[in-house]
Amino acid sequence: MPSSVPEGLLEFIVDRINVGILAVDRAYRIILWNEFMASYSERPAREVLGRDLFEAFPELPRKWMERKITGAVVLKNFSFASWKQRPYLFRFNHNRPITGGIDHMRQDITFMPVMDGQGEVTHVCIYIYDVTDTAVYQTMLQDALRRLAESNNRDGLTGVYNRRYLEESLEYEFTRARRYGHPLSVLLLDLDHFKRINDTHGHLAGDEVLRQAAQRITSAVRNVDVVGRYGGEEFLVLLPETDSEGAQVVAERIRSLIAAQPVVYGDTAIDISTSVGLATLDERMAAYTDLVERADGALYRAKDGGRNQVVVQVAGE
Amino acid sequence: MSISFRTVSHLNEDQRDALAEIVNIGMGQAGAALAQVLGEFVILSVPRIRLVDSQAVPETLAELVGAETTVSAIRQPFHNHLHGEAIVVYDEHGCRDLADIMGHDECTDERVEQELLLDIGNILAGASLKGVGEQLQAEITFSPPSILATHVPVERLLDPEALDWSYSLLIEVNFTLEARRFKGHLLIMLSEDSIDTLVRDIDAFLESL
Amino acid sequence: MATKVLVVDDSAMSRKMMIRSLPEGWDVEVSQAANGKEALEAYHAGKAEVMFLDLTMPIMDGYQTLEVLQKEGLDCFVIVVSADVQPEAEERVKKLGAMAFIKKPVNTEKVTEILKEYGIL
Repeated sequence: MPSSVPEGLLEFIVDRINVGILAVDRAYRIILWNEFMASYSERPAREVLGRDLFEAFPELPRKWMERKITGAVVLKNFSFASWKQRPYLFRFNHNRPITGGIDHMRQDITFMPVMDGQGEVTHVCIYIYDVTDTAVYQTMLQDALRRLAESNNRDGLTGVYNRRYLEESLEYEFTRARRYGHPLSVLLLDLDHFKRINDTHGHLAGDEVLRQAAQRITSAVRNVDVVGRYGGEEFLVLLPETDSEGAQVVAERIRSLIAAQPVVYGDTAIDISTSVGLATLDERMAAYTDLVERADGALYRAKDGGRNQVVVQVAGE
Repeated sequence: MSISFRTVSHLNEDQRDALAEIVNIGMGQAGAALAQVLGEFVILSVPRIRLVDSQAVPETLAELVGAETTVSAIRQPFHNHLHGEAIVVYDEHGCRDLADIMGHDECTDERVEQELLLDIGNILAGASLKGVGEQLQAEITFSPPSILATHVPVERLLDPEALDWSYSLLIEVNFTLEARRFKGHLLIMLSEDSIDTLVRDIDAFLESL
Repeated sequence: MATKVLVVDDSAMSRKMMIRSLPEGWDVEVSQAANGKEALEAYHAGKAEVMFLDLTMPIMDGYQTLEVLQKEGLDCFVIVVSADVQPEAEERVKKLGAMAFIKKPVNTEKVTEILKEYGIL
């Protein structure tokens, strides 16, 4: 430091800076405790200086801090921690009106080794940065982005994924399955006689049928499977890591679940059923569109064969 | 696969050799730090140095780390005499092995897993660059590390559109744990103007010999 | 008579630094090798009474070189010069017959100290 800095100025700055600064010796005794730490913890320096850190603050995550401090001592290297993994070290109030649901001050932490003239670490200095504003902002932004992404991907009527998202997923899963040689199956569903339902019971009843069908399909598949509305009354189910046999079981479960009970709309009970075409990835397919086309061919035959049935793609088709 | 990176045209044979040796010494210290923290013997690789176009970064990464690998990675910016970013890339076994060594049951808690990746990355980047800086008599300062991505295909780790330089010096070293599957790659990416600084440093260093 | 010294390292700069670090006034005849294979050839040609050996090298690394030397009945004073500064690396090379271990970067003080310790200077 240049000698022109007036005496006491550095101490004053360390004490008053809007960052928490504390330092401990190798035995975890507190030897520095600035005003930030004193005011937020409501423990003045005279009360904590010279005391064992963990004895003065038993609520601190001792094992974790010892690991960080030892790391800084042994490796003579800075060590860091972020609010993203560990929201805070010291449980301080943040005194902010707009919190975005954040309870205590979010903190980023830096552990800095302090070396003597021989290069031996004698103390570790800990900086506590108040990053509550960043955390609030990020949390709100992420929520907004999540909602936006989610609504962009969903079909407004049925709540299942829309065609755009289906195509993205098809592309991604197709490439992945091809690359790693994993199985992948697709079900293409078309509700039977949907036009007649619309004509007989009206469009609102038709909408309810679509909603119910979407719910029944979703309830019949795993979390990793992707269910979406492919067209008017067409749904597509993408089954990663699933071979033809496994997909047939799922397809049959969906078919029977949909036909199991009528959709009740007002006073009317509407019987519904679905035809299902099933296709499984094989090495001759160049793009996901080949897979969907194959499922479409099978679906056509399911319709042709009398509806309310599952048809599997014929090998070599 | 055709790799479209340029070879290091900025560096002559002597400079390249010197850089590799300087990095080698830096990573030796990182390896020792890692060995000390994990209590395992660490096998070090010979450094690989590439001057790449930002557009060629994804494929160069795939070439260095291994194509079709699913990875997690952390990034840590550094500045002062040299500036750029250190990126530590872990393959899928890496995380599980680390958790196992550090005595966590499994990598179930995402935050614990991320903290581990950040800590180990900080050790590798910090010790390596500190070693490099010491030899060049240059001070290097670190910002805190952050998670770059978790469980993504290596080709998707860095988006060329998001890089604000047209080319960069990429230095890769990797750390393997003996008798385990763990492998971590340390990538040091230097910005364009820092490449010139580095070349000047190396010349001064060679001159002093 | 001049002591025959072999400096083994894949980096030309590193060899240069090593040679620069040899104590002044030590009467030596220096040869160089860029990997373990070349080192063994030079050793068989009688060019290595003292060998400064790097560990991380392409083609044949320092560990492999030591193994071969040990099998052949080591007739040479090997000092490992390495950037790999793990304590276990030192233990391992000593088990393989290396007499001493110098951490990179090398300098004259370190080299002189080791040579004196083993009575070579």
